[in-house]
Amino acid sequence: MTTILKAFLAALAGLALGLWATAALLADGGPFDVVSLGPWNVATRAGAIDADPYTRAALERSGEIPIALGEGLQMIARVDDAGRPLEPACVYRVGPHVPAARYWTLGVVDLKGFPIDNPAERHVFRSSEILRQPDGSFAIYVSGSAHAGNWLPVGRARRFALVLRLYDSPLSATAGGIEKAAAPQIVRESCA
Amino acid sequence: MIWGSRLAAAALYVIAAVIIGALVHFAIVLTIPLVAARDAYARLAELGPVLTTLPLPRADASGKAFPYSDPAVAGAFCRFDLTKGPIRVRAPIGRAGFSSLSFHSRRGAAFYAFTDRAATHGFMEAVIVTPKQLRALVAQEDEDNPSEDLRIASPTVEGFVLSRVFSELPGLYPAAEDQAKALSCAPEPPAK
Repeated sequence: MTTILKAFLAALAGLALGLWATAALLADGGPFDVVSLGPWNVATRAGAIDADPYTRAALERSGEIPIALGEGLQMIARVDDAGRPLEPACVYRVGPHVPAARYWTLGVVDLKGFPIDNPAERHVFRSSEILRQPDGSFAIYVSGSAHAGNWLPVGRARRFALVLRLYDSPLSATAGGIEKAAAPQIVRESCA
Repeated sequence: MIWGSRLAAAALYVIAAVIIGALVHFAIVLTIPLVAARDAYARLAELGPVLTTLPLPRADASGKAFPYSDPAVAGAFCRFDLTKGPIRVRAPIGRAGFSSLSFHSRRGAAFYAFTDRAATHGFMEAVIVTPKQLRALVAQEDEDNPSEDLRIASPTVEGFVLSRVFSELPGLYPAAEDQAKALSCAPEPPAK
């Protein structure tokens, strides 16, 4: 009798373990085909027809329409350069360069990938609208409270992620060959 | 001795639980593509009928359908069904600095994409076919006067085409929306 009970408990524990592992692995888009560039993650095959089962399952569960390899590349950061999770109470400086692309945008999203409501109604900065230094470098400030210069507000979310999208980038075709130095830095400047 | 055998029995249950957990995990990852009712195609299907060009909802704090969409990019899509024959897709090039077409299978993955750099005579144009229709078209082609169509074989009979148009400035978003909506998807007339 106790053996049956123990076996049942083991099966139940196994079921819970399986469900937990699946949810944990799919939450970030699956563990494979992801290249890390400092704080940035690039799912190099996200939009591809031959993506691995984890990437495909994560895609179908979220409803995301991925940017295809022929169009561009999407990079996501959930931590800063030092590996600390991004917090709305802090000011982050993103820059000074991005990999070559015809256009790029930097946006703030919640952990599910949706823009976060904020009074300034700004969710994204385009490469074609930011203020730059004479040498072409730039700094975008990501923070909860207003900041001088290119300010990207994070609203009231407890946690957030940064999304960098490169359109028509020569990198797209050879995503495996991206150099870490080319990705913008995410430097935590101060925290309230 | 008794402790040893108890430990062995406990370890057996733990191993059993881990094996069950692994089985559950792989079963879920592999079946999600078969049962996902809220994938991108299903979400698009809620917006309108097949072969109709419809605007993709803008990515802002209110829209919760398509995660990781770029608020700087206007989108329009049409769903296709190749059961009755090939579908011709055509999108004009406008003033936007970047526009692209991506072709997605029923499962959401992109099987082809190109940007406005590949446009001819001011249009991005392609014919979507099944592999069987492609073979038929090639077989009946006039060798002295080959077709100039870009033919794209879809891995699934159903799918969707997405037109993306970049807005360089926030004020240009409505114009980008109009350009995206100019996407047309129409059945190809049967060959004579």
